[in-house]
Amino acid sequence: MKTQNKLSTAYVAGALVGAVSLAILSGCESTSAKDEGFKGSLNAVSKTAVAANASSTGFAPLAAIPANPPIPADNKQSDAKVELGKLLFFDPRLGGDASISCASCHDPSQGWAWAEDFSRGYPGTVHWRNSQSIMNSGHYPGSFWANSVTSLEAQAPSAAKGGVAGNGENDIMEARLALIPEYRKRFNEVFGDDFPRIKNAWRAIASFERTINQTDTPIDRYLNGDKSALSDSQKRGKEVFEGKGGCIQCHNGALASDMEMYNIGVPPATRWEEDGLAQITFRFELYAKGSNENLYRTAKADPGAYFRGKNKWDLGKFRTPSLRYTMYTAPYMHNGAFYTLDEVVDFYNKGGFDEDNRTTGWPKTKSDLIKPLGLSDDEKADLVAFIEAFSGDEILMDKPELPEYAPMFTLEELKEAKK
Amino acid sequence: MGIRATKKRLLVSVAMGLGLALTVNAQAASKYPDIGPLPSVKINKAKAELGKRLFFDPRLSGDAAISCGTCHNPEKGYADGMALSAGYPGNKHFRNSPTVINAVHKNRWNWDGRLGTNLNDVTRGMLTEDYIMNMDMRIMQERAKQDPVYVKMFKDAGYGEPSNGSIRKAIPEYLKTLTSKNVPFDKGTMSASAKRGKSIFKGKAGCIQCHNGANFTDGKAYNTGVPENWDVFMDTDRHQAFLAYNQFMGVENYNNLKRDTGAHVHKHAADGSDMGTFLTPSLRELTHTAPYMHNGMIESLEDVVAFYNNGGGEDSNKDSRMKKLGLSSSEQSDLVAFLKSLSGDQLTGDKYVWSEEYPAEYEAIENWREVKN
Repeated sequence: MKTQNKLSTAYVAGALVGAVSLAILSGCESTSAKDEGFKGSLNAVSKTAVAANASSTGFAPLAAIPANPPIPADNKQSDAKVELGKLLFFDPRLGGDASISCASCHDPSQGWAWAEDFSRGYPGTVHWRNSQSIMNSGHYPGSFWANSVTSLEAQAPSAAKGGVAGNGENDIMEARLALIPEYRKRFNEVFGDDFPRIKNAWRAIASFERTINQTDTPIDRYLNGDKSALSDSQKRGKEVFEGKGGCIQCHNGALASDMEMYNIGVPPATRWEEDGLAQITFRFELYAKGSNENLYRTAKADPGAYFRGKNKWDLGKFRTPSLRYTMYTAPYMHNGAFYTLDEVVDFYNKGGFDEDNRTTGWPKTKSDLIKPLGLSDDEKADLVAFIEAFSGDEILMDKPELPEYAPMFTLEELKEAKK
Repeated sequence: MGIRATKKRLLVSVAMGLGLALTVNAQAASKYPDIGPLPSVKINKAKAELGKRLFFDPRLSGDAAISCGTCHNPEKGYADGMALSAGYPGNKHFRNSPTVINAVHKNRWNWDGRLGTNLNDVTRGMLTEDYIMNMDMRIMQERAKQDPVYVKMFKDAGYGEPSNGSIRKAIPEYLKTLTSKNVPFDKGTMSASAKRGKSIFKGKAGCIQCHNGANFTDGKAYNTGVPENWDVFMDTDRHQAFLAYNQFMGVENYNNLKRDTGAHVHKHAADGSDMGTFLTPSLRELTHTAPYMHNGMIESLEDVVAFYNNGGGEDSNKDSRMKKLGLSSSEQSDLVAFLKSLSGDQLTGDKYVWSEEYPAEYEAIENWREVKN
């Protein structure tokens, strides 16, 4: 048993704003004391949200999602900033060879994600993890599967610059923005930049992402009092979710996620055994994220949150993903191991084993919360139906028309320049 | 007879006290390292062979679209035949691609001379610059490890398993094989005109002041007043690379630059007197590497000589030695003949160029779970 004592500051979840909340998360016994120190302040915001909603059952109840995500004090929203961020989100010039944008791996028509096990990656590469939807990401206390950055403002450059993602560098991306008069004008209006500063591009993109939310799902309507919003099957599924299935232990609060790190037993991608390009990226990530020689040579599974603190008790742990919008974001898990929600439920029902009885490559850290559930076929079907209640209508967006390059000087200006 | 005639003319000129510049230059010639054949280089065959495969392998660029050989094309004298080089997809380069033939004989590289250490560093620079090959070398290493041909070649070359460090050693080893071959100047088979041109080169024209030593370069940067290539600024694909580079190199107010900075990017002279200075290029292999100058603004050797004869271009930073030379048209053509005598065989064919195909896909390592990474 562990206790959480966090200050509630910024986040409003559901109807509750706590001052100091104490939540007792019984059932999290497996989480070691060491974890406490490691997790640090990153999760403070969401934990508070969860804790503020703590019910007598010991877990934060599911909650309707607030209309808007928290807005950081140092990056206020404005219409002009959001509009600029939208252009930049879709602009492939914010990448190494100007061929892929944020929207390439977070494609609105693929659930604002990428509908394959691994994200598509930079040309000539493939990523090693599943692309996560940006839907509701403004509510997240951190980004990436290991919560390795603490804001959307920090997520954008990390993705735009990563070798198997955007592979861009600040200097050339900033230079491209400087050569687009429309951006010069907009960056000046929004940020006061004489020439666009790349850091402000990330801030604008973050602001845009904070507008990509879904609040009108069946679960939100249900929790806001419309008891007809869920079908009977979904209502039964909710009981399984909160009871026999134990899903609520981690999938709780407004995001249906506690944003904590767990190893639930997802088996390593079989693609690593078959795909040379994926093998390259696997070793690259081990190398780039700073493995010791032994780990680099022997790892055959994604070490996950381990890379954040190089603590062996974090091996194979990944952040509890939100269940929102999951109808549109298959495949699931950090490596896209499962293509349907049925497979996901089967996996949990078997105690963290897939249909071939494969489980995590890091068995020592596998969470004690993951046990065979003994769900009947009906219960499993109800559970899947309930998970679908976290998704509303698909939210699509067309790629905006992007502003064009134009020379910075006229030929006359160049010729007249004193040499 | 040609030599004697030239010498005689020179002696007569000096004796008669005609042409002060010529006298100065003739005396000056002895102050400079003499031109002559290049020293021979020891080459490790296995390492050079590996470097050859790497040099032409597009998997050494970020999106696997271009290789070193794209801009250093054997058919174009290991340059690319364009005024300004292609660069990495998504942008274009802002300088002329220099030949890598005899790169091993240089002690400073790049048109602005920003790299003055060794070819290992030059290799790294070209691979990783975002507007050139944009390669994350950690991915490069893992790509090499995925190719059984490389695994064997690295082992045979004594490097052990493929690594980014040994890639940066093997490519320079290959570059050692790219040195001038069968050069009339080196072999003593120059035409009479070329021989006269040599005297002009060392004498009246004063070329030797900068183009000296066995590789015809003093490794220093000068401003000769080469006109700007406006494409650098008017083509946004080039301008972006130029801006990125100058930002990266710490040049002040880079967004407002209206001229190429040259060696200023690493010298940073407070008064800007180093703006537009570029490294003296080697004069070897010129017949294969037109157009000329750092920005390809001069198309032929005839035009290059005419440019110098006219005292170069206009620039407040122009080197004071750039003055009208007063060469007659026959002297100019002799000088061109001499310049042409500094070029040798094209370094094409299997001996120099990797001609086997690269695999279209990366083979998966079998028994991946059982073997060490």
